[in-house]
Amino acid sequence: MDNRLYFVLGDLLTNICIGALIGTLAVVLVGTGWNMWLAMVLMMMLGMVLSLFLSFGFAICFGAMEVMVPGMLTGMMSGMILGMWGAMAELSAIQGGAIGAVTGFAVLIVVWFANAALRGVAIERENRS
Amino acid sequence: MTDLVTQRKWDKAAPNFDLMAGKGAEWRWEPHKQKLFANMRGKVLFLALGTGLDIPTFPPNQDITAIDLSPEMIKHAQDRIDDYHGSLTAEVMDVHELSFDDDQFDQVFTSCTFCSVPNPIDGLISLRRVLKPGGELYMFEHTGSRYFPFNVMMKLMTRVTEKLGPSMDRTTVENVEEAGFDIVKVEHIFLDVVKTIKARAPM
Repeated sequence: MDNRLYFVLGDLLTNICIGALIGTLAVVLVGTGWNMWLAMVLMMMLGMVLSLFLSFGFAICFGAMEVMVPGMLTGMMSGMILGMWGAMAELSAIQGGAIGAVTGFAVLIVVWFANAALRGVAIERENRS
Repeated sequence: MTDLVTQRKWDKAAPNFDLMAGKGAEWRWEPHKQKLFANMRGKVLFLALGTGLDIPTFPPNQDITAIDLSPEMIKHAQDRIDDYHGSLTAEVMDVHELSFDDDQFDQVFTSCTFCSVPNPIDGLISLRRVLKPGGELYMFEHTGSRYFPFNVMMKLMTRVTEKLGPSMDRTTVENVEEAGFDIVKVEHIFLDVVKTIKARAPM
């Protein structure tokens, strides 16, 4: 990932905000008594779709794929975790937002590690000219 | 015949294109594009000029012919074209129907182009035709990913984004090989999604 401060802070802001928003939405929508697996799958899908549109907004300031890919993963994970959690226990919107924000931060760390493993020269063949 | 549907889509996008693509993405990618474009030499074809956001990262004093499918995009690029220190001409042209002679260019450069070309392999074959034997193809592109969960997400993203413009799950490196180029170097910029590709037309 980009290690210029502007983009590091931008990536953090994007993922924490998306995680918090999707997490809040998941606990507001899902009530205790829902089937846990159904809640998880539905909120995961909703989180993924909504986070794509949220990412478009952050992408204007902080980049394209570098914002949209982790942003969408955050939406998916936040929706999944809070959907499942909300079906099992009573959570407030603030708790949902806080857990979602932590999820966003954790996802970003995972993406930073994945990027560190994948970036760089992938193919280099003998120059035949 | 020019792809009018795609042309209209980009004509419509032209007035707001700089807002969507000209801030975060360009700031982020600028150092990588500068490094790639520093390889420009000889007679250069630049594919899909858009509103000319890449022009400030071109090295000066080059001989560049740029094309774009959208007349509106080129209209919006005009100030940047005028500001370039070197020879830069822009023409409206579809990559599938290049009107240039065979073996005319030493190099072809693309920048986030093949996510939007409707028939990417045909487009690449077209580029190979206008490149001299042994000519170089340099690309800055985003593609799909080979790795879970990124590959699944890119496919889902494509269902939305291709209605607005680009696809997010292209297999551009494989397409370049399928079009008959020899891959020289692929460098990943972000995950295996944003990358630079250097390829060579066969001798």
